[in-house]
Amino acid sequence: MTIRRIEVRERVMERNDALAREVRARLRAAGVTALNLVSSPGSGKTLLLERTLQDLGEDLRFAVVTGDVQTQNDADRLARWTDDLVQAVVTGGACHLDARQVTMALEAVELETLDILFIENVGNLVCPASWDLGEAEKVVVFSVTEGEDKPLKYPKMFREARHVILNKMDLLPHVPFDVERAVAAAREVNPDLEFFFTSALTGEGMAGWYDFLRSHVRRLSGAGV
Amino acid sequence: MHEMSIALEVCRITESQVGREALPRVREVGLVVGTTSGVEPDNLLFCLEALLMRPPFLHARLNLDVIPGDDLRVSYLEVDDDDPPN
Repeated sequence: MTIRRIEVRERVMERNDALAREVRARLRAAGVTALNLVSSPGSGKTLLLERTLQDLGEDLRFAVVTGDVQTQNDADRLARWTDDLVQAVVTGGACHLDARQVTMALEAVELETLDILFIENVGNLVCPASWDLGEAEKVVVFSVTEGEDKPLKYPKMFREARHVILNKMDLLPHVPFDVERAVAAAREVNPDLEFFFTSALTGEGMAGWYDFLRSHVRRLSGAGV
Repeated sequence: MHEMSIALEVCRITESQVGREALPRVREVGLVVGTTSGVEPDNLLFCLEALLMRPPFLHARLNLDVIPGDDLRVSYLEVDDDDPPN
């Protein structure tokens, strides 16, 4: 018996991350900002995007890639608000999107005409944290019907993100949710997190989110939007 | 929850290193898993042990080294070159 040892040292995520780097380079060359929206199921990602497309659709050009375990319901909902492309990825059981799926979805997207690519990830605060999709940043959508300690329970996701949208603010009078405690919990795992406080249902607080999107586009285009 | 995806990726990396025909002769897979890598070591062990005991593998062991940090990588492979391939 001759045991041969092979030193490998290959990162398990290397293939995904190489594809993500290609996606990022293509997006940068085309001047497109990609935002990867992550959350638990039911935080309001799709409604938030519906309202965003409705309100900014005349100023900015969007495409959306949605990921769900089954159905393309979210993509159908979003397609009502934009003439641009909405691509549904049905993961068929997988709990996250990976860079290969985004690469395939982008084959149908004309990047040169776009300002912003939204990637609506599978509703899951665990697994999508580990997959780089080539996005400019991850944005966590968190809602006042969840527990304030969610950032402490799912720290990796909140560490990977730079912005948090605290959604369903219209429900705040009806639920025992402590906003300060939630913000403190999130900043405990990631002190650099910045917050938007929104209700995608009523439109409350969406202006700050829209300013953020416009600032991303201005930065890439160098022109006033 | 995504440990099976990670386990399959470990198998793919192993195959790319040794070639498919040598997979039955892989005796040990060394894996480094960081405590903040987002992977649950016991769950990954469960998934990978199941994969490493069935074709195209035969009976490869997993040596899982849990360390602090974000690292998640295949560190080494051991192959028995005298074992006739199936």
